[in-house]
Amino acid sequence: MDNKQKIDSLLKHKVSWLEDSGPDDDIAISSRIRLARNIKGTPFPIAASPDQLNNTRGAIQMAVEKSNCLGASALCFEMEKLSRWERELLLERRLVSSEFIARDGGAALIVKRNESAGIMINEEDHIRMQALSPGFQLDEVWKIISRIDASLEKHLPFAYDSKLGYLTSCPTNVGTGMRASVMLHLPGLVLSSQINAAIQGISKLGLAVRGIFGEGSDNQGNLFQVSNQSTLGESEQQIIERLGGVIKQLISHEKNARLTLIEKNQYFLLDHVGRSYGILRHAYVLSSEEALNSLSGIRIGVDMGMFSTVDLHTVNELFLTIHPAHLQKFAGKELSAEERDIFRASMVRDRLKKFKNT
Amino acid sequence: MLCDSCKKNDATIHIQEIINGQKKTIHLCGECAAKKSGDNPAMEIGGFNIAEMLYNLTEKLNIPGFQQALQQGGIAPAQEKPLVCPACNWTTEGLRNTGRLGCPECYNTFRDILEAALENMHRGKLHVGKKPGSDSSDESPRLMLELMNYQKELEELIQREEYEKAAKVRDMINELKKKIKK
Repeated sequence: MDNKQKIDSLLKHKVSWLEDSGPDDDIAISSRIRLARNIKGTPFPIAASPDQLNNTRGAIQMAVEKSNCLGASALCFEMEKLSRWERELLLERRLVSSEFIARDGGAALIVKRNESAGIMINEEDHIRMQALSPGFQLDEVWKIISRIDASLEKHLPFAYDSKLGYLTSCPTNVGTGMRASVMLHLPGLVLSSQINAAIQGISKLGLAVRGIFGEGSDNQGNLFQVSNQSTLGESEQQIIERLGGVIKQLISHEKNARLTLIEKNQYFLLDHVGRSYGILRHAYVLSSEEALNSLSGIRIGVDMGMFSTVDLHTVNELFLTIHPAHLQKFAGKELSAEERDIFRASMVRDRLKKFKNT
Repeated sequence: MLCDSCKKNDATIHIQEIINGQKKTIHLCGECAAKKSGDNPAMEIGGFNIAEMLYNLTEKLNIPGFQQALQQGGIAPAQEKPLVCPACNWTTEGLRNTGRLGCPECYNTFRDILEAALENMHRGKLHVGKKPGSDSSDESPRLMLELMNYQKELEELIQREEYEKAAKVRDMINELKKKIKK
């Protein structure tokens, strides 16, 4: 299978974290856990020669295949063979990091067909494995990633120190090597101007809050990722519990904010949802920022039962497919920024057509 | 104090950086700090924390401008030799510039520098989480390690143009690969 066919195959299959239902998925879009691992006695990617990078990649590819930890239908992408837009597409699908797609020789992604788990080879560390599930379910995701870790460990000698735990290229990841995060949709807190206080509170608890794709995306679409910062001195379960506790509170604050909006500012909320719908149904030029913010408006309407037929998964899917690399994939050619805005508007109009009578 | 970035909210996060020996403090509100960390994808856990960590590191390192500042203040810096990792040749310079280490052995090489930084970044100094399982019956990881070592050796032999030896090592690598794939 060549890369184009592999990418087509990703697009054709159901994406588990987008299309399946999960706990609290009216507010929590997805839960993710990523583990960093490195091979004993081998320089980290930052200090490795091109040959060393290739050797490490070969060994890890072999181990993944042999352990069958991502299933027989897993897809492997070697970065140097992908075009810029193919790499961007993997980034938009949250399978790789922006640091990763800037790399060339020696970097590879192996991903489960339904995209619920994947392994980046030679990102900052030799191995970055992630599991991604819909809704708020960190415990479940931990079970999945822990299994993958255990089966890889049977084939690869991981760099581990009894005091410092798993050794990583950046000392901020040493110990568990774990970064757990939940993506939350928080329009209620944004519309009621409580989001600043919430973010400040979270930062004080040693957790990080970021936008949807990290890189300078602000809080477009009112999407926020909350994750742990420290990786040493606490067990994985303790980290997950601490993070989970904060997420639970955020979810309940968001629910309260939405209820208060309905009770005290009903027309403001209806107007917000209605305008969002109007833009998406009728715009002919749509920037990604406007699209994300309007999708957020529709999503809160769907969550609160204002639309009877628009389903959450269509909205979730649009949150992904309105991004540039996906648009160009659907258009089948490279588009200028202006052309993308026009194509985006037409795709969104089309996808929402079926919900005309709501 | 107001946030340096938006000049609207109260600053709750204070970042100290030393750039070219100049100490600089940036005051940010939670929102702008989150934004700032998002601006820099390389700093995955948030730019402000890395900066804090580097601040901690730089206090322990030999940075020309920083030493000068200390000397002008009448404090003579301890003459520390710059460290080089014996396993991968990574230096304190590399650590300072990137905030990253070169190989697992670097944790020993740079232990003194890291100790303070780790304490500042994390919730403890000791790993209490998952350990690799002790399934010694499986020889696969050992073979894999052997493979990596042979590959390293091969690379060195080729560099030294010792092709005869290299050919032998290559054969051993192929044998090992077959064994691993079984």
